[in-house]
Amino acid sequence: MQGSQQQAYDRGITIFSPDGRLYQVEYAREAVKRGTASVGVRTEDGVVLVADRQTRSPLVEASSVEKLHSVDEHLGIASAGHVADARQLVDLARRRAQMEWLRYDQPLGVEALTKEITDHIQQYTQTGGARPFGVALLVAGVENGEPRLFETDPSGTPYEWSAVAVGGGRDEIQEYLEDNYDDSLSLGDGIGLALEALAVPNDGELDTGGVEISTVDVESETFSTKPPEEVAELVTEHGLAEGGEDE
Amino acid sequence: MTDDRLQPNGASSDPDPFGSELVPNDALGGERAEQLAGDDEMVNKTGTTTIGITNEDGVVIATDKRASLGGRFVSNKDVQKVEQIHPTAALTLVGSVGGAQSLIRTLRAETSLYGTRRGDNLSISALATLAGNMMRGGPFFAVNPILGGVDEEGSHVYSIDPAGGVMSDDYTVTGSGMQLAHGTLEGEYDPEMSMDEAVALAARGIQSATERDTGSGNGIFVARITADGVEIEDYDDPAELL
Repeated sequence: MQGSQQQAYDRGITIFSPDGRLYQVEYAREAVKRGTASVGVRTEDGVVLVADRQTRSPLVEASSVEKLHSVDEHLGIASAGHVADARQLVDLARRRAQMEWLRYDQPLGVEALTKEITDHIQQYTQTGGARPFGVALLVAGVENGEPRLFETDPSGTPYEWSAVAVGGGRDEIQEYLEDNYDDSLSLGDGIGLALEALAVPNDGELDTGGVEISTVDVESETFSTKPPEEVAELVTEHGLAEGGEDE
Repeated sequence: MTDDRLQPNGASSDPDPFGSELVPNDALGGERAEQLAGDDEMVNKTGTTTIGITNEDGVVIATDKRASLGGRFVSNKDVQKVEQIHPTAALTLVGSVGGAQSLIRTLRAETSLYGTRRGDNLSISALATLAGNMMRGGPFFAVNPILGGVDEEGSHVYSIDPAGGVMSDDYTVTGSGMQLAHGTLEGEYDPEMSMDEAVALAARGIQSATERDTGSGNGIFVARITADGVEIEDYDDPAELL
């Protein structure tokens, strides 16, 4: 009896449990935890996004696993969780960014973009016949010369952060960020901190081919992704490269 | 719930990028607009001379007060043809009175929504782009307003044409009296003018048009726009401002 009642509450996403919870949204958060982590760090000079794109087989082309996405010249998104769900939200973001140019002839703000995305995510927690998005995003960009970093979660709530992690190992990574973040970091320091934090659940080591790094620079107001060679150099430079087991 | 491609003519369920998400129910659709455009003489038109001049302190907008039918009969002698549409911007009514009034109501609503959603007001250039999109892709027709406003970038005047053309300028004139007023302004404009000097120049422009254009007259409205807001006053005779 107890069991069948429990099942009823987690079957429909639009049904609250007696203690006021939306189980499907909570399960979607679990789906995010099953994904590999992404980390965002905001510095005075810009925002850093790094992502762990560890693959299950060395035969997978690493470049086909995309976790960092360009949205517009000045905006980028990192994802954790279901890649396919992330792609839908990234495409929404890209269209909203272009809409801002068409409608107002101006770049879309980071906060405004985040709220467009979270409003969309929220609809899937209140509408029957669909499931929530099993993905968390980090939205990074420059707005009126200021670096901004936001998180979206499967409930559709937006949060702004100085430094944040989403995905597997989030708690450990977040703890490392909280202990080591400093608001006077340079962009280069930010990359270092983000990589170190990402390596925490893996005993301080990263596979040089399994990391992506992007930045949104305040001065150029441009989102750019580092080429694999530069990523490998940066990982090695910060003493995080895995001990030559792949060499 | 599905999202869609960017469609120029608002086929999308997203806010139409070229128009307005707040287009009123009674707004004119394409066919109706064509039909009314044919009955031009039957529509109350402003005739009109409207002037916008940027200056050191902000922007002045001046308009006459006459509404006419085809510029041949004075249908109203006390029309306010400049309206505030934004905390620091105003738009003039030129052309079809119905089209202009509806455009103004819609732009006010868009400005208010943008401000409350984003916590920051639309810039004047964004407002001009939005107004141009509405003229081109939306239901508003046969108007040729001036948009004047002040934002972080400074003082701006735009003329917006009925096909959606948006042009920025230091000073501009629209309406049936535009050639007369331009003749008065030409060579007299100085970018270092104060607000009071610009008001006097605008009043002389309206005065010239009042004297010779049958679609313009019956006094003057003046809007003084600064970073602090918009103040609108009217006078029976432009000479009161000289």
